[in-house]
Amino acid sequence: MAPVPDPNSVGGGAKRDEATTKIPSKDSKKKDDKKEEDLSEEDLQLKQNLELYVERVQDPNPELQKIALESMRKEIRDSTSSMTSVPKPLKFLRPHYGVLKEFHAKMAESDLKKMLADILSVLALTMSAEGERESLNYRLNGSESDIGSWGHEYVRNLAGEIAKEYTIRQGEESSIEDLMDLVQQIVSFHMKHNAETEAVDLLMDVEDLDLLLEHVDNTNFRRTCNYLTSAAKYLPGPDDMLVLDIAYMIYIKFAEYPNALQIALFLDNMQYVKQVFTSCTDLVKKKQFCYMIARHGMTFELDQEMVANDEDKEALQDIVNNSKLSEGYLTLARDIEVMEAKTPEDIYKAHLLDGRASSGPSVDSARQNLSATFVNAFVNAGFGQDKLMTVPSDSTSGSAGNWLFKNKEHGKTSAVASLGMIQLWDVETGLGHLDKYFHSNDNPVVAGALLGVGIVNCGIKNDCDPAFALLSGYIDNEDSSVRIGAIMGLGIAYAGSQNDQIKIRLSPILNDANAPLDVIAFAALSLGMIYVGSCNEEVAQSIIFALMDRSEAELGEALTRFLPLGLGLLYLGKQESVEATAEVSKTFNEKIRKYCDMTLLSCAYAGTGNVLKVQDLLAQCGEHLVKGDIHQGPAVIGLAMVAMSEELGLDMEIRSLERVLQYGEQNIRRAVPLALGLLCISNPKVTVMDTLSRLSHDTDSEVAMAAIISLGLIGAGTNNARIAGMLRNLSSYYYKDASLLFCVRIAQGFVHMGKGLLTLNPFHSERLLLSPTALAGIVTLLHACLDMKSIILGKYHYVLYFLVLAMQPRMMLTVDQSLKPISVPVRVGQAVDVVGQAGRPKTITGFQTHSTPVLLAAGERAELATEKYIPLSPILEGFVILKENPDYREE
Amino acid sequence: MLTVSVKWQKKVFESIEIDTSQPPFVFKAQLYDLSGVPPERQKIMVKGGLLKDDADWSTLGLKNGQKLMMMGTADEIVKAPEKGPVFMEDLPEEQQAANLGYSAGLVNLGNTCYMNSTMQCLISVPELKSELSNYQSARTKDVDQTSHMLTVATRELFSELDKSVKAVAPMPFWMVLQKKYPQFAQLHNGNHMQQDAEECWTQMLYTLSQSLKLPSPSEDPDAVKALFGLNLLNRLHCQESSEESSETESVFSLKCHISHEVNHLHEGLKHGLKGELEKTSPSLGRTAVYVKESLIDSLPRYLTVQFVRFFWKRESNQKAKILRKVDYPLELDIYDLCSEDLRKKLEAPRQKLRDIEGQKLGLQASAKSSSKGDDVKMTDAEGSSNQSGESSTGDQQEGASPHMTGIYDLVSVLTHKGRSADSGHYVAWVKQESGKWVQYDDANTSLQRGEDIIKLSGGGDWHMAYIVMYKARLISM
Repeated sequence: MAPVPDPNSVGGGAKRDEATTKIPSKDSKKKDDKKEEDLSEEDLQLKQNLELYVERVQDPNPELQKIALESMRKEIRDSTSSMTSVPKPLKFLRPHYGVLKEFHAKMAESDLKKMLADILSVLALTMSAEGERESLNYRLNGSESDIGSWGHEYVRNLAGEIAKEYTIRQGEESSIEDLMDLVQQIVSFHMKHNAETEAVDLLMDVEDLDLLLEHVDNTNFRRTCNYLTSAAKYLPGPDDMLVLDIAYMIYIKFAEYPNALQIALFLDNMQYVKQVFTSCTDLVKKKQFCYMIARHGMTFELDQEMVANDEDKEALQDIVNNSKLSEGYLTLARDIEVMEAKTPEDIYKAHLLDGRASSGPSVDSARQNLSATFVNAFVNAGFGQDKLMTVPSDSTSGSAGNWLFKNKEHGKTSAVASLGMIQLWDVETGLGHLDKYFHSNDNPVVAGALLGVGIVNCGIKNDCDPAFALLSGYIDNEDSSVRIGAIMGLGIAYAGSQNDQIKIRLSPILNDANAPLDVIAFAALSLGMIYVGSCNEEVAQSIIFALMDRSEAELGEALTRFLPLGLGLLYLGKQESVEATAEVSKTFNEKIRKYCDMTLLSCAYAGTGNVLKVQDLLAQCGEHLVKGDIHQGPAVIGLAMVAMSEELGLDMEIRSLERVLQYGEQNIRRAVPLALGLLCISNPKVTVMDTLSRLSHDTDSEVAMAAIISLGLIGAGTNNARIAGMLRNLSSYYYKDASLLFCVRIAQGFVHMGKGLLTLNPFHSERLLLSPTALAGIVTLLHACLDMKSIILGKYHYVLYFLVLAMQPRMMLTVDQSLKPISVPVRVGQAVDVVGQAGRPKTITGFQTHSTPVLLAAGERAELATEKYIPLSPILEGFVILKENPDYREE
Repeated sequence: MLTVSVKWQKKVFESIEIDTSQPPFVFKAQLYDLSGVPPERQKIMVKGGLLKDDADWSTLGLKNGQKLMMMGTADEIVKAPEKGPVFMEDLPEEQQAANLGYSAGLVNLGNTCYMNSTMQCLISVPELKSELSNYQSARTKDVDQTSHMLTVATRELFSELDKSVKAVAPMPFWMVLQKKYPQFAQLHNGNHMQQDAEECWTQMLYTLSQSLKLPSPSEDPDAVKALFGLNLLNRLHCQESSEESSETESVFSLKCHISHEVNHLHEGLKHGLKGELEKTSPSLGRTAVYVKESLIDSLPRYLTVQFVRFFWKRESNQKAKILRKVDYPLELDIYDLCSEDLRKKLEAPRQKLRDIEGQKLGLQASAKSSSKGDDVKMTDAEGSSNQSGESSTGDQQEGASPHMTGIYDLVSVLTHKGRSADSGHYVAWVKQESGKWVQYDDANTSLQRGEDIIKLSGGGDWHMAYIVMYKARLISM
């Protein structure tokens, strides 16, 4: 006979569509009747046997009943092993299902009744009407024998029915105890049979993930946790936190501390971080933890409990303080042989633009020189040498001065501050270079030195607190440019540190009636950075009061936008915690109210992928406004901030931004390129590149400027040849428009940032963790770009330096246990999503083998190509400590 | 007594003893010995701020073995240079214009692109500019009022263009031009009509040639004629009567007729210099067909060639356009269009030019033959020095006795885009003294590649050359 295709065999998840599992009864019956004659002898025999059993079951003699039931059970069990078709016994029993059901109802309580219930439960798998959950009912009335003996399909079906039953019972508020027993059985069955994902799904359905802890073991906990962490991205709050909690506990249970730490960092749960340190006893591993914390950009104090030994503690604290970052970065640079300093001309590559490039004016242009200053700063960031600002010891002491004074007034601030960028992360040398500028009697120069100190200390902590010691004296300087330099420097140096001392110094400025607006704006911004994601009430209050004190005219100023932004940064990624403040913001002057609202919303849900918030923001963009309202800009950027967390949402967002671009008003169109820039930061996707390239020729120069800056952002630190080419052509296209040319130059600087060794991506550790300080830096720049003319093209161009918060080497540097760099072969390839896949699938594809240190591009992953060493962290990014594999044998 | 270590730049000064009974200034003096940084330049970071000279050690809570950090250098303090650099943004506008390397664009006043592009081509002739600047503002009696006004307006416009960076609106000039030539003031639906740039060009040159007559009659009376004018030697020949007559004619431009056989400017020019006309023959006593053959008798400094792209289409009653592609070279040799006399005159300078060019190639050739390997470098060096010497002497003597060679270099192209003369868009493409090409599209100016200029030869809907101007390559004898 022709095999009847069994829809059950295709079912993959626990919650299959019930409808498909039922064979349409009428048709099949007819067919059965017809085909009865065609049955083979064997089948006929089976059919007759079964019919006999059915009859016997109804026999009053319990002995006979028992024998019949046992035989029936045997027949069914023997056959359910096959998955490709409806097992024949089930098929032949189909006509008798009703009979058996009736009989079961009539039976008195007995073992036999339970036995029959078991069989009915299996039969219900294919025969019960939709939504009846008969299989489950009979199972609950059955003998509670081993659930796995009836095969996988049965278990899956049961799991699906349990989930439905559970929701119904939750509605009725009736007991679920009997269900939970069953769940226990199913989960343990699944966990033993490589079906972790189904076990997790079932437990999420019945809201009892804790059960998982009992059932995971050494072989399956990794896959389980992997599934949990990636599922968390798609769960609504607070379920996601719960899921990650479980994953954390499982990791701790199996002493998989690096992963546990990752999740602890994701949850931003200091208790958990501490627990990781106290649970782990291996000092080298702790060093690895410190590297991970340092990469996350978190300020973290080790204490006696975490490390007992003082000397060890100091060594670990050094790592957390990032004091070796500069060294590692330079090791990478030397290995790749890019130490040679580059000039802006090396980046512009004007010689490739035959004929069309202007001959280069004989007179210096202040704006051109300013852009060269920035390009020089970004390109040589962290290398400690350049060809404009740093002085090769003695002979040319004039040259640095020369370049400095080729910048005009506030341009000098950026020029001196660029020294901080060039010496990035190398505090001692950097301070040495900046020192002489402190003694200048030119205020912009002093301001630049202050800002430079902040930049050089970005992400680096030091016991002596040099940045605070140096900058605090200038906070109340009479010159406002010097004040801004000091305040911004503090904001950059202490971002995320929640440093009380600075709060005490900066808060009064906010509510000082005599302070100029720009000083207040930068103070609010710096406080926002320092207390990023802390939900600090006091700071929030100060900023709120400052906002309320602004006059109507001041609210119209471009810089005022930094006040709501500073407020928003306090709640970065903190979701509901923002609500109280958002409520207060409704009382603001209407000029700033909506702007504040959008900024708070977008900051609070940044990196959460919350679909509802995306919809809210999209709705805002859909409105066509009377001109003058500026809140749609932050709404568009907010879209990107919320959606940037995971790949699917990100792609969806890129598509919906395309719509927004087509139908939106001008103020929205200006923000869309910036949003695209944020979504693909340091990740030059070709589609986005093309969109931005198109927009860079837009007739509205503000759209074009934003698109150009964003081209720089998506290519930041990649040296991407295609973007570099586009920008080069743009530089000749816009060679006459000083403003646009400035933007092109800046973008060129971004693309070649750190000569291609850096990334701006705030996500790290395989895109799981979001560094709040990095995001704060980028978002600040984007908000500044919303009013390009008054901020970046005006005299506040140094806000570009906020990007330093997001700059990190995109390297993988292996070190041995004494933290000396060692070179080992690694495979680097495109990362593959292996969540929920069976077996041990390859995690990378299209790989190449290099020896460390190596660069990792967006979406790439590394794995060791040698068995000689074992990495102490499963995430091969940044600093990875290797220990020798004791089982390794040289071949 | 406390012992601390001090970190300074990359160095660490271990175990420095602090005498806590002395003020911190003493400590700084200790550090001065070690680092060479004068105490007043030292910044020492302690908890909560910088170490002050008069601070009390006991309040600082220093511990034994604590690490301090010092910042400071003995470097010279940066001082602003006496004379700061001059920034382009601060310069007055005319200097900015000078730095840009080319003059500004002209604002379109409503279908005035024909005028703008014509003026942009004319302004690129430095000799014309200098003639204009010599022009007196007071009117002499042999020039009529409107011509005078137009000449003055042209002069003003030229000087204004030289001074500004932003596009200039040529309003006064436009008003005067309309006054002088009312046909340019024609309105259509309330707007000024698009006009033929060639007409504007011709009229401008005519007016200027009238007004720029030099006061002293001894010299060549007409400056414009000296610059642009060329004499044609027309020979009329009647097939039937074998009558022949010749006359000279003075024109400002050559015409390039476009027919099916014409693919190249040179062919078009030849075509344009040959024609048939009907004329009453004195010997036959009736009209007969004469063949008119023209040859160039004198060469201008600036040779203007008009592509006759427009013709009057009777059936549609409009000026239609020939889109045919006609190539034109960057370097034009019109030797074979010249008359016998002129050819003779050109012979010597051309030989000289050939020699110079041949020298460049020839030297290398001779170097090859003469040198058997060892003195290649020497001859090369000689050659290059020769070359440079040549060019410098050439420059010097150019003013002294320049001679025509019959070879011309392309300096500006006026293009038209569109299907008829009275519509579409005119754009000027002008070569700058720096050798770069600039496109003047009304107010917009942009740099162009030399090879793109050659591509304006027609055959599609892209801009195509309508009037081209060549500059004579002179050689000093």
